[in-house]
Amino acid sequence: MMARKVGVVAAGHAKFGKRLDATMRELSAEAYKPIYDAGITQDMIDATVLSYAASQFTGQGAGSALIADYLGLHDKPHLRVESACTTGTASLRAAWGMVSAGLYDTMLVLGVEQMNRVSSAKATEYMSQAGDMRWEYPYGISFPAFYALMASRYMAEYDLPHEVLSKISVKSHHYGAQNPYAHLPRTVTVEEAHNSVPITRPLNLYDCSLISDGAAAVIIAAEEKAKELTDEPMWIKGIGAGASSMMIQDRDSLTSIPGAKTAAKAAYEMAGVGPEDIDMAQVHDCFTIAELIAYEDLGFAEPGEGRELIENKEVYHDGAIPVNCDGGLKSKGHPLGATGVSMVYEIYSQMRGEAKEPSRQIDDVQIGLAHNVGQSGQFVNIFILERGW
Amino acid sequence: MAATDEVYLGYTTDEATTPFFREFLDALAEETLMKSVCTECGREYLPPREYCQDDLSKCELKEFKEREAKLYSYTIVDFAPETLSSKAPYVVGIGEFPSGLRLTAHITNLMSVPEVGMDMKLAFDEVDERLVTYKWLV
Ligand SMILES: [Zn+2]
Repeated sequence: MMARKVGVVAAGHAKFGKRLDATMRELSAEAYKPIYDAGITQDMIDATVLSYAASQFTGQGAGSALIADYLGLHDKPHLRVESACTTGTASLRAAWGMVSAGLYDTMLVLGVEQMNRVSSAKATEYMSQAGDMRWEYPYGISFPAFYALMASRYMAEYDLPHEVLSKISVKSHHYGAQNPYAHLPRTVTVEEAHNSVPITRPLNLYDCSLISDGAAAVIIAAEEKAKELTDEPMWIKGIGAGASSMMIQDRDSLTSIPGAKTAAKAAYEMAGVGPEDIDMAQVHDCFTIAELIAYEDLGFAEPGEGRELIENKEVYHDGAIPVNCDGGLKSKGHPLGATGVSMVYEIYSQMRGEAKEPSRQIDDVQIGLAHNVGQSGQFVNIFILERGW
Repeated sequence: MAATDEVYLGYTTDEATTPFFREFLDALAEETLMKSVCTECGREYLPPREYCQDDLSKCELKEFKEREAKLYSYTIVDFAPETLSSKAPYVVGIGEFPSGLRLTAHITNLMSVPEVGMDMKLAFDEVDERLVTYKWLV
């Protein structure tokens, strides 16, 4: 049997931020509510993938059961998929498989994370446990430290000044300031970004994404069902996934993420498009260096030349390849399990012309790309999404 | 000087010790760094692993004698995970030996910001009476 065509038919988003007014439960409900209001009620959902990256944050076991129950999804099969910061798109990939194979017609994919119930140092601790516990963690290599190791190598190989990374932060905050869901909706100057406090040198505060709470959700459906549910489906046109070595020291290069290049190649092939066909991209900018490397891994720029895209503002909403015009993980926030779903949400909103603030709405989006990287590249998922109307 | 189940290398982790890893730690306590070598294909690993990645054959520990390396990449960790907060700032470096093998460890005697490509030497450090770890000196 041929795989069935699958589309996104509805999406919802919770406010990202330091959400001490909410837990995983309420955040999940906040993300599902707009979908419910759009007419997709619990009885129309056949099954769910409910995702959060780190159970240490809440201590709740079997969290997918808790969330399914809380959302009133009674007797609907549910599943948790975990792959660090790519948990959201790994969930979507799993759900796509089940719908395309004909197991279910309509599924909810909901990503959520509540990270601010613990201190920043504790959250950093939990995230550093995604490094090799025997050979990396004992040396105190935090999550930002992995990307700092890439940054110092990239800066040395390509003679890149830190100010270029600061310009990526400036763009992210420029757009985050216009996004009602963003965690830190305020602008920043190159000087402020460049001179902010060091976190893991050469990266500083404004190079790093936020420890956020939040949730996002999408409904996917098989082609026939999708057309019943909406006149405006967004088709899943290509999916690519990749992986890189566990220990960062074992990689041939630290100026790209090997798994991301594999994933991009697979996604472009499946979709039958190339980098030049992409109208907008949501890339995994957990750190500014990650966004720069993403430009190159995705084929938007040659190796070592990604800096030209930010310096010439080609990655702004009216540039050649708009990237993260929702604030990205840097300004919108990075609630691990929600991040990948939020990327897909943003592409769907942009296609529908619903970016709200005209100064961040991208013109005529036909094809969007979501690039979601887990840990320091051990997991990568890339989705190519096509406007179906 | 034998390592315990609770304390490895630099600091505490929850991963359990194995006989193979204990042999590595015991050698380290004598200031001997061990690599592993696959008994089938001869592939070398640093840090060592018990099973070869290529053919899943057993590896054996052998002394690793190289000491000179070049800095491949680094970071200065100012904001540390909770368990290491009191030690920040500290410097993590990946060193590359002439053989191509690499090792990740702290650089402990820096007086200025490190530079990719600079020369480093591997050395040992007694963390406490039960534990010795390896580190980089410039
Ligand atoms: Zn072998």
